[in-house]
Amino acid sequence: MIDTYSRHRPLAWLAIVVVAQLMLLAFQIKGEHDVRLIRYWAVALVTPLERAGTWSFSKVGGAWGAYVGLRNARAENDRMRVELDQLRLRNRELESQAAEAQRLATVLNFRSAHPEAQMLAAQVIGSSADPTSHTLFINRGEHDRLRMNMGVVTPDGIVGKIVEVLPNTAQVLLINDKDSGVGALFSATRTHGVVRGSGDPEPRMEYVVNDEKVQAGDAIVTSGEDRIFPKDFPIGTVESAKPANPFQVIRVQPSARLDRLEEVLVLLTQQEVVIKKPEAAASAPASDGAAAATPAPGTTPAKAAAAKSAAGPQ
Amino acid sequence: MGYMLNVGERSDPNVEVHKFYSGAVLAVCLLALVFQAFLHKYGRWSELIDLPLLVTIYFGVSRRNPVTGLFLGGTIGILQDALSHDNPIGMYGIAKTIIGYLASSIGGRIDTEHPLSRFALVFFFFHFHQVILAITQRVLLNHAAPMFTLRLLLDSLVTAAFAVPLFALLDRLRRTS
Repeated sequence: MIDTYSRHRPLAWLAIVVVAQLMLLAFQIKGEHDVRLIRYWAVALVTPLERAGTWSFSKVGGAWGAYVGLRNARAENDRMRVELDQLRLRNRELESQAAEAQRLATVLNFRSAHPEAQMLAAQVIGSSADPTSHTLFINRGEHDRLRMNMGVVTPDGIVGKIVEVLPNTAQVLLINDKDSGVGALFSATRTHGVVRGSGDPEPRMEYVVNDEKVQAGDAIVTSGEDRIFPKDFPIGTVESAKPANPFQVIRVQPSARLDRLEEVLVLLTQQEVVIKKPEAAASAPASDGAAAATPAPGTTPAKAAAAKSAAGPQ
Repeated sequence: MGYMLNVGERSDPNVEVHKFYSGAVLAVCLLALVFQAFLHKYGRWSELIDLPLLVTIYFGVSRRNPVTGLFLGGTIGILQDALSHDNPIGMYGIAKTIIGYLASSIGGRIDTEHPLSRFALVFFFFHFHQVILAITQRVLLNHAAPMFTLRLLLDSLVTAAFAVPLFALLDRLRRTS
């Protein structure tokens, strides 16, 4: 090591002295634009280093900024995710409220359109625990003047009748319950029958002879013979019809969504209701109380069966 | 005081190193510079001989110490620059620094006492000195300085021929031990 140093020491001195004199020359000599060479060289030497330093700082600064930004973005992302969950919840609440408001508006419109019939709006608060029994509970009872065998409807169609009245609640037997029966007729042909529950979601229309031409989609309305529901109130439509002995087997698709009931109307009287079309119902004046009552129907075997069914299982 | 300059170490302890009387090196260097400047006033013929270069070569090969040689050459060169009217200081300094180093390095390896070897040595160093000058001027001053011309060849021959008696004269300044 020492030998190497001693051997190269003259060369090192040579380099030092030559470089020193080069610096001296550069200090004296002026290049283009009257700038001293020493300045040129200094700039040429320092500029790449400065450029590298600037580049490094900008990269490091950029990386640091990106890191900090990423951290902030992550925190902000978490915060916004929580906020999004809250907003989703709030949105669901508002959607639910809007749907409820729409349902209530429909009910209110229906009530307003039929001032001749006394109705009481009620909320469905529960249903039967028995899967074979199609009943539900409403939040109105004896204190609200509810009585047995009062009809329960929605603007879409009939729902059922009250079979149990408690002080503040009442039990409603749906039309698809196997113990239910409603006097009905085909809207087009005025052929009478009885819509009776079968335990399935769809009730059946009974006592319709095989000669009667029935097609899927035929509208079925109340006949009013059971003295529970007013005449011509929608019950549903024919889903299928098959000839059988002695009567056809007709499956009925209820107009009211019996599986999604939330608000219903209880008919407090047996007053006849003239069903109006939706646009007519919306524009009907509230004072239209003198709705024309339809004449009482005559008595047929189907009517007798309907009256018997209406008496119910109680 | 056996010798003037004692900077650095000798390249080879087995090589014979010549020492000079006190102040001889300084006096010879100053005289060379003065004569070079003085003679320059009396015509361009004086440019044929580069006395500072000859002194640098002579003391380099005699002292045989590269560090001493490069410092001596550098000092002579800078003084020559200072005495010239248009040279930036350092132009001859760099060239003579390198010549002083090389002369000291070579002096320990070849015979530098014979007149012919001295003639060849000076001839070679004259042109090497010119190459260094030309490169320096081209790079730093952006001057198209020639590296070799017939005039330079003539100058080198004259300088080398003049160096042989001059070196013999300077040998008399050596201190006999």
